[in-house]
Amino acid sequence: MESLFFPGLAVQMTALIFAILIKDRKKSLILSQVILIIGIIISFLPVLISLLPGHAGINISYNGMFRFDGLTKFFLFVIQIIAVPTSIYNLSYFDHYIKKGHSAASSIVFFIILVVACQFIVISNHAIMFLISWEIMGTSAYGAMLFEKEKPDVQKGSFYYFVASHVLVFIMYIAFFLLHHESGSWFFTDFDLSGSESSIVAAIFLLSFAAFGIKAGFIPFHFWLPRAHPVAPTPLSAFLSGIIIKLGIYGIMRTILFLPSVSEWMGWFVLAVSMVSAIFGVWYALAQHDLKKLLAYHSIENIGIIGLGIGIGLIGSANNSIGIQVLGFGGALLHTLNHAIFKSLLFTGSGIIYQNLGTRNIESMGGIVHHSKFFTLLFIIGSVAISGIPPLNGFISEFIIFNGFFMISNELKNDYSLAMIVSVVGLALVGGLAVACFTKINSIMLLGSERKKIVSFKVSMAEYISLGFFAILCIFIGFYPQPVLWIINGVLEEGFLPAGKGTLFSIKWGYINLVCISLTAGVAVLFVLRRILKKKYGGRRSAAWGCGYDLLTPKMQYTASSYADELNIIPKALLVYCKKYQDHDSVFPVETGFHSHSDDFIDTKIVLPVYRKSVAIIAKFDYFSRSDVRYYVAFILGSIAIYTMVAFLWN
Amino acid sequence: MELIEIVQGLISFFLILAFSPLFAGIVNKQKALFIGKKGAPVLQPYYELIKLFKKETINAGDSSFISVFSPLINFTSVTVAAAILPIGLWQPLISFEGDIILFAYLLGLARFFQILAAMDIGSSFEGMGASREALFAVFAEPIFFFTVGSIAFISGHTSISGIFHSVSLNNISVIVFVVVCSISSFILAVTECSRMPVDDPNTHLELTMIHEVMILDNSGIDLFFYQISSYIKLFIYSVIITSFFYPFSVENYWLALLVFLVVMFAISSVLALTETVTSRFRMKNIPQYLLFATAIGILNLLIFTFSE
Repeated sequence: MESLFFPGLAVQMTALIFAILIKDRKKSLILSQVILIIGIIISFLPVLISLLPGHAGINISYNGMFRFDGLTKFFLFVIQIIAVPTSIYNLSYFDHYIKKGHSAASSIVFFIILVVACQFIVISNHAIMFLISWEIMGTSAYGAMLFEKEKPDVQKGSFYYFVASHVLVFIMYIAFFLLHHESGSWFFTDFDLSGSESSIVAAIFLLSFAAFGIKAGFIPFHFWLPRAHPVAPTPLSAFLSGIIIKLGIYGIMRTILFLPSVSEWMGWFVLAVSMVSAIFGVWYALAQHDLKKLLAYHSIENIGIIGLGIGIGLIGSANNSIGIQVLGFGGALLHTLNHAIFKSLLFTGSGIIYQNLGTRNIESMGGIVHHSKFFTLLFIIGSVAISGIPPLNGFISEFIIFNGFFMISNELKNDYSLAMIVSVVGLALVGGLAVACFTKINSIMLLGSERKKIVSFKVSMAEYISLGFFAILCIFIGFYPQPVLWIINGVLEEGFLPAGKGTLFSIKWGYINLVCISLTAGVAVLFVLRRILKKKYGGRRSAAWGCGYDLLTPKMQYTASSYADELNIIPKALLVYCKKYQDHDSVFPVETGFHSHSDDFIDTKIVLPVYRKSVAIIAKFDYFSRSDVRYYVAFILGSIAIYTMVAFLWN
Repeated sequence: MELIEIVQGLISFFLILAFSPLFAGIVNKQKALFIGKKGAPVLQPYYELIKLFKKETINAGDSSFISVFSPLINFTSVTVAAAILPIGLWQPLISFEGDIILFAYLLGLARFFQILAAMDIGSSFEGMGASREALFAVFAEPIFFFTVGSIAFISGHTSISGIFHSVSLNNISVIVFVVVCSISSFILAVTECSRMPVDDPNTHLELTMIHEVMILDNSGIDLFFYQISSYIKLFIYSVIITSFFYPFSVENYWLALLVFLVVMFAISSVLALTETVTSRFRMKNIPQYLLFATAIGILNLLIFTFSE
């Protein structure tokens, strides 16, 4: 079975040929995506089988270039399980544009390269190969993002992404050079820091956290996310949020495995950064009106939750507690999978809404439920899951992380307890804010009456299949988490923990199953009861209560801004939240208006000013290049001389 | 789990379901007495529920399947949450390490769908109520974890019945801790169950309501489910407060039951008294009131930690 993996990758790559060579746009789209899906399934089989308990791992290394340990296999599992429905969704999304005469070839080609590169990143065992794959991944995502390149905001947003991902690679180079310097090898398996000074280990940890943190979107490195997501074509946004930012998590976890021993400050550091990301991610999300931007901020929140798990795991590892590590890293891995699932569901859903209504502004939506009940149901499933509410999968991973907090306090006592209760309350706050945010978008977009007339709301079969696939996964993991937990348990035992000691089954999952089933059964029984009673005592429809006023229009419904306003004004300064009223003194009614807006604090108050300042400073050197050429040559020679001198003195 | 424990669990579960309207009736009766009125009979909530049960169900014009399912989900999740709570020393039906989180999130599920159903009507009245509900929930969740959660941290248990059966009152700081915790959980109960001074269930103006305005357009069987789940919610939050008082070295079942009844009655009196002497706060001030509860929770925890 294991030999199927690389042929599968090869099949995925042949999809490129179909995408490039077939001239008929529709045929090339369908053929390339079908081949891609077949390739993914072929390489998925060995990964899945090797993840099941009691099965041998994959042992193909090609001179140590590749390696399939637990972490690799888990991330392969996540990538492949998300890539299949996303490719199915591609069929319908790009078909829309092809019908309008737009060519989708470049985005499809880049998407295929992206999927393959992501898999190469997680399997590579050689630092240079890792960096090359990473670069291919980053660049191909940029290429795919430029789908509607004639729009100025697409150019701007994707360029933001491009710059961020290159700053990241630059930091990553330094981290890997340090690792190479310390161990004398480029192979991940040989990275041995046990002889290094603790300051070097700390530097490597911080550099990798910064580099991978940019990709993952931890605050304050998140600024590219809310700009890149809205402009990317929807399947790419789904993949970006579902997989690519998770590769940052992969990188952080991989770095943790390089460290000889974990110091406790690392755990606290990750915990603090993650808590800030989680809380402010969701709070920023609450203030957005652009659906995709809102979802992008939610990715930051969920990355924060994953980070909380990693932080717990690090604290456990520093204190040699296996139970804490299991709950921390296990919760982080499970939330990685869960977030990939429900965020892809929500992003594909947002794409369907965008294509039908032609807008991403939630204030002008409403009443989608009257056109497609099933779509509404699927979107609500995704929302309940992301809010971390039972009986769906988001709850399971948050539950594990909550338990991790409690376990730290139980095992380590005293000062830890105080810190942990603050963390628990923080996570509860995040949960409350997520509920507020997702009730906001669901009720404004899907429910009520139509703020803007919806001419037609069509959801194609391919879209239903991909959304349904994600929704079924949400329900399955929520109702019956045991299989996934077995997998995660195996993954943890294959790298993070001493052999045979990890168990996620100290939690009584049977009760969770029971609660989920009784919730469903209860609702079903009551539904029948309601039917019977309604038949017996009558039921009808009537207009909503309007306080005696009869001329209600859809515009008079509550808006998303007013729904979230009272929460947004609390961290007003940090959200850069402002409201504009058009006031008038006229006695008679005149046209008036209201506008509310939130900007990203880090983006507008730190990143952009620093960028502008540095551009201004660099511009001063322009003098040399623009005046006499001899000055320019002298300037270059001078810089080289200074650089060489510094290099000599350093040695 | 032994058979006897399952039977005990079932009994306490059905006790909660059966007696929660009675509790609301007792509160209302006392409130009337304090004001100097005769008041409705104690069993009035039951009469009202029976009346609603037999009424015609009317759905608002633009409502969708959410309005149909929300009352059912609301009732089911509140009931399942009720199965986590112990009455007296009896084991609840559902009890495992971590059920405190499940409890909070089950109520979150109820809230999620209640808000959706309110917004489903497409009327600004419901929208306003839903917005406030979401706002207060954001403040209420931290209070829950500061009070019940901090006891969990101190006792080392994360199952509600485990927490309440393991705190022993061997020093004075624990007593102070428990008393202050019950104050902040009282504020929590008032908020979550939409009682005064956060919300006025008897107001006549839609704009000033929170919970009542969210169910303004519901009737018949839907309203029945909403009402009974709000009764159960009030009851289970009070049960949480009673649980702070078991640790007074009660080991006998019947004595524990007595403590339960006495404390429940005391809570109902306090609720009625609060509603008699205060009026509803201005909406703007409610977050401050909730932050006050959080703040005393934090202070309390700090005092406890440093006195240890």
